[in-house]
Amino acid sequence: MKDNIEIKNINFKYPKSDLLFNAFSLDLNMGETTFLIGDNGSGKTTLSKLIMGILKISSGSISIDNKGIDQCTLGEIGKSIGYVFQNPDHQIFGQSVIEEMSFVPILLGNDSIETIDKADKLLDNFGLLHKRESLPFKLSFGEKRRLAIASTLMREPRYIILDEPLVSLDMNNMDIIKITINELRRTGKGLLVISHNEDFANEYADRVIKIQDGRIAYDESK
Amino acid sequence: MMKANSLDPRTKIFIVAIISTLGILYRDIKILSLIFVITLVLAFILNHDLLYVIKRLKRLLIVVFFIAFVQSVLTNQGEVLIQFYGVNILTDYGLLKAAEFILRIGIIILASVIITTSSRREILQGLVQLKIPYEIVFMVTTAIKFLPMLRDEAINMFTAIQLRGLDFKKIGFGKKLKVYKYLLLPIIISSILKAKELSIVMEMRGLRAYPTRTSYRQLSFSLKDYATMGISVIITIMFVVLN
Repeated sequence: MKDNIEIKNINFKYPKSDLLFNAFSLDLNMGETTFLIGDNGSGKTTLSKLIMGILKISSGSISIDNKGIDQCTLGEIGKSIGYVFQNPDHQIFGQSVIEEMSFVPILLGNDSIETIDKADKLLDNFGLLHKRESLPFKLSFGEKRRLAIASTLMREPRYIILDEPLVSLDMNNMDIIKITINELRRTGKGLLVISHNEDFANEYADRVIKIQDGRIAYDESK
Repeated sequence: MMKANSLDPRTKIFIVAIISTLGILYRDIKILSLIFVITLVLAFILNHDLLYVIKRLKRLLIVVFFIAFVQSVLTNQGEVLIQFYGVNILTDYGLLKAAEFILRIGIIILASVIITTSSRREILQGLVQLKIPYEIVFMVTTAIKFLPMLRDEAINMFTAIQLRGLDFKKIGFGKKLKVYKYLLLPIIISSILKAKELSIVMEMRGLRAYPTRTSYRQLSFSLKDYATMGISVIITIMFVVLN
């Protein structure tokens, strides 16, 4: 099956703890917006990290477009799937906001003028253009979250995983993120949004999957 | 098997001090081997998860073996075992020195495993009861706690930068250096910020608010501690007298 993330019979446990996923299987369509909901500790973030290859499964298989992720490097997975961590501090490195946006594309050989131009447009969309020379560590939490999403969009991934994008945000920042999600959906980008907010899921999702103790409690298409 | 936490942390510090001192003082490979075996047995008795600890130290062990290899290659004394175009590559003396180095580092690593069987709080209390100023003990234990945090921080950032589509295995050495340089600053900044937050929290909890500190928990030696320290002293004296 094409454009799919296929999770087949995976087992996973953290060291010195019980099995979190036991023979867990799930298919994700990379063209739709899927919400993964569930309580804290139910395994949502762990599942997303397994898909990205950040954590390794102990058995079973995960494949993206029929290619097993065990055969891919993090860089290769990152080229097709963008990942926005729950804590933006985990993915912000730059010494300025513009460097944060452009460092990796320029390092990978992209034209620097075009890259900077693209970065400025994205910063403008996310209301961060006036902060382009600021130190990213000094931004507010909401600004950091927006910057993390904007820098993920720089390389235009086919699919984006957003881990709890609304957590710890004020109404204004929430609105910007919601507008972004709508815009991404409108342009045909597939999304996997991890959230424990069911109202948010019902508003934007094509499909809602509830995870409970490492199992699928329900799986509904809208 | 003896439970690790059944020994007082001060006893463990005492054992580790003796083992490390012996490991550094002696140069004879037979004695070092004996100390290594004793330390290994002791670490195994006290730490039921020794194999897990060794697995986690895999990278450090690779570095140790690499240094030992370089040391053996750079030592020219002794009988030549491997020669390449008239240049001595490996001598028996060089091999001996490498083995001594591996044993010595192994003794120190295994000795430190013994300490880690106590919690940070227990070690802190043990050192305080050994009359070491609380501020110094607190700084040392906090620094120890920070090392794994620093490592996790570096791993997280390294993972995150690769997830932006950077195939680290496929880029050149110069670009790799650029990435390392790029990641160094945020790791340092993040650590400083965490240290600053921690210091504020500690001040708010009343650290150094009064000139003296009392502790709810007091450690006390048991018969097992006295016996362990006594046996350690006897073994040490035997080593010194016999050699």
